[in-house]
Amino acid sequence: MANFSTGDRKRKPKGDRRSTEISLVIRQTMEACILTHLMPRSQIDIYVQVLQADGGTRSACINAATLALADAGIPMRDLVTSCSSGYLNSTPLLDLNYLEDSAGGPDVTVGFLPKLDRVTLLQMDAKLPVDIVENVMQLAIEGCKAIATYIREVLLENTKQLEYRRGL
Amino acid sequence: MKVWISSKEKKPMGLDQSPNARHSLQSRIPKNCHHWTLTRSEFPAVASSSKTAVNRRPNPRRPPTAYCCREISRLAPPNSPPDPASLVVAIPDSQTRPGARTLEEIQKKVTMGLVDSSGDLSGEMEVDAFRRLFPLRYYERHLAESIRPDGRTLGMARDTTLALGAVSSADGSALTKIGSTTMLAAIKMEVMTPSAESPDEGCIAIEFHMPPICSPIVRPGRPAEAAVVESKRLSDTILRTIWLVFCSSGMINLKELALVSGKAAWMAYLDIYCLDADGALFDAALLSAVAAFSHLQIPVVSLNDKGKIVAFTEEGDTVGKLEKEAVNKEKRKLTLGNIPFSLTCALHKKHILADPSSEEESIMETLVTVVMDSSDRLVSFYKPGGALAYTSLVTDCVRLTRQRMKELEKILDEAFSGMEVD
Repeated sequence: MANFSTGDRKRKPKGDRRSTEISLVIRQTMEACILTHLMPRSQIDIYVQVLQADGGTRSACINAATLALADAGIPMRDLVTSCSSGYLNSTPLLDLNYLEDSAGGPDVTVGFLPKLDRVTLLQMDAKLPVDIVENVMQLAIEGCKAIATYIREVLLENTKQLEYRRGL
Repeated sequence: MKVWISSKEKKPMGLDQSPNARHSLQSRIPKNCHHWTLTRSEFPAVASSSKTAVNRRPNPRRPPTAYCCREISRLAPPNSPPDPASLVVAIPDSQTRPGARTLEEIQKKVTMGLVDSSGDLSGEMEVDAFRRLFPLRYYERHLAESIRPDGRTLGMARDTTLALGAVSSADGSALTKIGSTTMLAAIKMEVMTPSAESPDEGCIAIEFHMPPICSPIVRPGRPAEAAVVESKRLSDTILRTIWLVFCSSGMINLKELALVSGKAAWMAYLDIYCLDADGALFDAALLSAVAAFSHLQIPVVSLNDKGKIVAFTEEGDTVGKLEKEAVNKEKRKLTLGNIPFSLTCALHKKHILADPSSEEESIMETLVTVVMDSSDRLVSFYKPGGALAYTSLVTDCVRLTRQRMKELEKILDEAFSGMEVD
């Protein structure tokens, strides 16, 4: 994470626990999705640089990693999209920003494979009544589906540009 | 944009004839590649006996006058490639040739300069191979025409764009792109106690980061290789020079960063992140740092009753709040003195290339960085070793920098006026 990405300037952006945790989460989510058996004896390095953190950092990192992997042409089972949601004032809210996040309500991050309709990542902190969890998770999954549509459009547009430049 | 050099002119483009050069040529072709060598004097003989010519080795008694090698596995050479006498392509053993072709046939095709679109890919591959194997020769052919492979003239810099306020959570920020080189600079202000010997001055702390995202040579973890040492050296140089440039060139007056004399002053943390390293890193870093400082707005603070500086909050009522006086009345910008601009040039024999890309930087050993400010004074001239150069170099580089400075001033002004309109 960049020094200037959060409200107060970070002293040690590299080794801090939050960065390490986010790195681990991204790695495990991607590992489940990349077809690594097609690329034996090779290592894929994913570098994510957070320039500004305003809530939903984890989700943004995962979406960015998916796009980068698709741009690199690495075979994957499906696009991994991610979205976060929360619950404040008895309302489920989608995609909390920093202010809403710091209000102390629960923050649910979901990583979702849209075509296969599976959840790869589910993280939640703070307390939430059991009957509400389902709602909040469904909301996050809807958010993921919307992001997936957008990602697909962008990739399609990019491929058309490449085709055009190649003269096909 | 590709620039093709017509092979019609008969330039004596032979490879070096000294035995040393031959040795170095041999050592550069990897061992598991099979390569054919033919001497120039043997061409006519080769043309007549096509099948055997390919495998003929140079006569050991007679030193070859030139090395040449051809392996063109597809038809249709590109529209005007380098002279095949100098084209050396090494083919790995596994690749099979479709059939023997006479050199004469190939030369004819090549010199006729056929324009074709179907064989474009194979043409690209040959040129690409030449570019990878012999980058210096590839560049020299272009420099002889006073042009570079990406179509620029020798004194032209790449397209530069500047975006202010890229990071909204920072007090001042700027994103700069020179060609593909991307730098993001952001400033965050914090309050600190000034030192005893300069109670009226603030402080600037600069950090330059090259995260692994910027270049394949930068790796995380223990720095063990030359490449990472290179990036460390680069970041040290950039830091030191930017610091010197800012303080000595008088762009920033540290007294402006004072708050309460002796008690509180601003500390400006400038972080520069390299997001993509493609040559001329110093230029992009300096430009983004300058733009970030120009964009900086010092936040409003007030002195609370405990004598501490706190962020100023707009209070609707003014009754009995006299102790909370704003130290800064409003968000203000720094007044900047003369703004420094820089240009990095690469030197090769007699040619000076302005704004080299990373490929050019890696093959040309000598780099010169000149920093000038808007009052036409030379702030810094940096030439760390490299090839020996004439002193007229200084005037040439300064001239190029002056031109570049005008361009950059315009770009900075445009970025500002664009922002103010919003």
